[in-house]
Amino acid sequence: MSPRKKARAVLILFSLALAGHPVFSFQSSGKSSPQITDSLGRNVVLPARADKVLSLQPEITRIVIALGAGERLVGVDYFILKHDHLFPIIFPEGRKLPAVSNTPEDMNFEMVMKLGPDIIFISPTELQMVDSLQGKVQRPVVALASMGSFDKLLEEIKLVGRILGREERAAELVNDFLSRIEAVRKSVSSIPPGKKPRVYMSFWGSLTRTPVTYEPVDTAGGINCAAGILPAYLGTIATIVQLEQIVTWQPDVFLVQGNYPPRERPVTVEDVLLDKRFGSLPAVRNKKVFYTFGYWYWWDPAEVLVETLYLARLFYPEVAAPVSLETEGNEIFKKYYGIEGGFSSLCRVLECGRWDAE
Amino acid sequence: MRNKKAKILTALLFLLPFLLTMASLSIGRFHIPPKDMGRTIIQAISPSAGPKVSTAYRDILFRIRLPRLLLALMAGAALSISGASLQALFKNPLVNEYILGISFGAAFGAALSLVFLGKNFPAQIAAFVFALGAVLAVLLISGRSESHTVSLLLTGVIVSAFFQALLSLVEFFANPYALQSLFFWLLGSLSLATWKDLSISLPIMAVGVVALIMMRWRLNVLSLSEEEAKSMGVHVRREKLLVILLTSMITAAATAVAGVIGWIGLIVPHLVRMMVGADNRKVIPLSAALGASVLIIADDITRVAATFEIPIGILTSIIGIPFFIILLRRSRKVWL
Amino acid sequence: MSIEVRGLSFGYKDFRLSIERLRLENRKVTSIVGRNGAGKSTFLKCLAGVVPVPKQSLFLDGRDLASLRVGERARLISYVPQELTLALNYSVLDFVLMGRAAFISPFSVPSREDLQTAGEALHFVGLEGFEKRDFSQLSSGERRLVLIARTMAQSAEILLLDEPTTFLDPKHEIEVMNLCRKLALDKGKTVIVTLHNLDMAVKYSDAMIFMKKGKVVAFGKPDEVLNADLLEQVYDIPMAIVPYNGKKIILR
Repeated sequence: MSPRKKARAVLILFSLALAGHPVFSFQSSGKSSPQITDSLGRNVVLPARADKVLSLQPEITRIVIALGAGERLVGVDYFILKHDHLFPIIFPEGRKLPAVSNTPEDMNFEMVMKLGPDIIFISPTELQMVDSLQGKVQRPVVALASMGSFDKLLEEIKLVGRILGREERAAELVNDFLSRIEAVRKSVSSIPPGKKPRVYMSFWGSLTRTPVTYEPVDTAGGINCAAGILPAYLGTIATIVQLEQIVTWQPDVFLVQGNYPPRERPVTVEDVLLDKRFGSLPAVRNKKVFYTFGYWYWWDPAEVLVETLYLARLFYPEVAAPVSLETEGNEIFKKYYGIEGGFSSLCRVLECGRWDAE
Repeated sequence: MRNKKAKILTALLFLLPFLLTMASLSIGRFHIPPKDMGRTIIQAISPSAGPKVSTAYRDILFRIRLPRLLLALMAGAALSISGASLQALFKNPLVNEYILGISFGAAFGAALSLVFLGKNFPAQIAAFVFALGAVLAVLLISGRSESHTVSLLLTGVIVSAFFQALLSLVEFFANPYALQSLFFWLLGSLSLATWKDLSISLPIMAVGVVALIMMRWRLNVLSLSEEEAKSMGVHVRREKLLVILLTSMITAAATAVAGVIGWIGLIVPHLVRMMVGADNRKVIPLSAALGASVLIIADDITRVAATFEIPIGILTSIIGIPFFIILLRRSRKVWL
Repeated sequence: MSIEVRGLSFGYKDFRLSIERLRLENRKVTSIVGRNGAGKSTFLKCLAGVVPVPKQSLFLDGRDLASLRVGERARLISYVPQELTLALNYSVLDFVLMGRAAFISPFSVPSREDLQTAGEALHFVGLEGFEKRDFSQLSSGERRLVLIARTMAQSAEILLLDEPTTFLDPKHEIEVMNLCRKLALDKGKTVIVTLHNLDMAVKYSDAMIFMKKGKVVAFGKPDEVLNADLLEQVYDIPMAIVPYNGKKIILR
């Protein structure tokens, strides 16, 4: 063969090889592949179709179900299967799904390959792991988490909606969420700042662990005592305060994380009421120590909505509510998950009947 | 002249913890006006003396600050004296009080308790039991070997690694929310100590510290080779075992309540030896005194620096290391 | 205080000590000589009780050494090992004080009497004034003397010294051997030393034990037992004994 012919042959072979490589995809049909930016700032190329979804981030799993795409799930993570009491209520079929990982570090790569998902959702805990996963399994991996922000939560719903081709449903949920939140904000807007209750939250099973930001409390017209404190680790929202600091704050309301199953709660309302060190707190003196849901691997959109309504009623019992919390809660759960009595079921598990609010 | 200076230094070191405790009662984020402080203390003894002070003052002083300070005092003394004793016993300057597996044994015990028994059982008891269990395992495994000291140290390393692995296993399968308190405790914290916790752990530490102080001269003899000590009439194995059990007991008691506080047991004894020499008659009690002071100071700093809790292990190293470097430059020869 | 050996058999994997019958003189200096590995140190360790002694082999005034409790034995026999492994830099006085361990309970500190005894021991070895010096500041010879002082502080009748003169310069060698004689004569102690330096042994001992391969080859006063054939048998090289100035010099 002449040298020129040889060169052309090599060039043709080379381009064919490149064309077959998934990253350098020349098989574009004219329009550019859709891309999104995830919570870690990574640009991820989306698949054409997302029929098989592997969700290793419980918050996203719940959103997928709310978007009506639950049957597309091929796998979930260990936490939502073993420790989440809401999951069997909103998606009973989910019990049969395989658990692919416990933490991002212990991914079962072979199982992922076997399940063959079109897209993988993961928690943005470790940047390197996320990239290495995408490299190993050659499928798009999207890292998302709300990080305790309503705005981010709604963005997530929209994003996942776009990925799954359920944009309409996503918009529906976002609008519903926003309008209900607005309603709450309006109902407490007339309260002057001086009269807003100062709230301290004991989350994560310890009296001294508290979130530096908790939007449900803010939205419901409360003031988070721990707002603005440096988090324990950068990039998280938890901090650990001194016991003496809690007493210095003299909170009006003391909230305890209630998302633990009742018999497994490390900190209970009784503990706080009986703790002699808190005797001087207005919250203890006026018996304003309550459970609230709190984080449970971030949020569930329906649950956090109901929680905000619950807190508004808690802080301002004098502001009249049109319907009972239970009714409104069930209504919300029906809208999001299409189930009857969803909120009541959750309340049964967490024994909310003893939560001292309606 | 050097002798007089040494005597004053020694007296000061002994007095320091008590002075610090009293001063530290008035340190904290909650501001108590000085005269109310006095009144609160007096009214604790005779309730009807003078106008009543706010209950908040009483809660702060006696339910939050005092237990915390006493824990700092006792734990600082216990950890330092353990480190000093074990360093003499093992003839090794790198030894600390956790060398026989206590820190990971305690952590594993606490994790086990938190996961399987939850609220029903105080994790401190499990932590204490497993910490001692780790030491017993070390003693049994190393048994009657030829070079007893070396085998104890090696077995300690192995047993620690074993419990560390078990701990990871528990962490793996447990609900991450259930184990949150464990992670903070592992970094060391005096913040959650209640009188109930202290009612058991303080007496244990006190007994052990006193016993070790009584054995201070004996540690000189035990730091000789086993042959020599035996020929001088010492039941070497028996007495070594006693020292190990005492140090383990008080370290386990401190760790069960305050978590793992590193550096104190390693650095404080060295600081003391650099100041007063190798004689354990001085080193042992002074280590206890200096350790108590260091921990109280570290805790004071934690309490005023910020609203959030700085893990105390970080502070103890920040305080200890510069002192160590300063003294290292002008120190006498202690280790041969 | 008489020491009697009746059928001592003790060994490690490759070595066996086997002594039939021996009676050591008290208030005298006895030296044990022989090649490396002859069993000198092992014998001493048996006497000291530092290794597990078989029963009914060693007797102190008729009492079985193996049956003595650790504290009892320490008050009767003291032992200075060949190598000194010290981990911490104690002062000379603190070091000598340790010899009082048999008289102080584990939970007590030395009394004034203990301090006095230690001071006297230091004085006897000629190191008074050295009390506050750190051990690391001493020369080899001084360290040996301090060791002997510690042994003295133990107030035992019998002193066992394992190669006390090895690594010392001639002056200190003589000093140590003189001390041994002084201990026997002035204090009535029974001193048993293992030595490499044959000349020293001959000059300073009242009795000598020659050992080879774990057995006693000869025992008696230097004048009586010393001869060239014995030396060749023990040391495996030809030696000659030459009289000089009334003393006996050993030539290789």
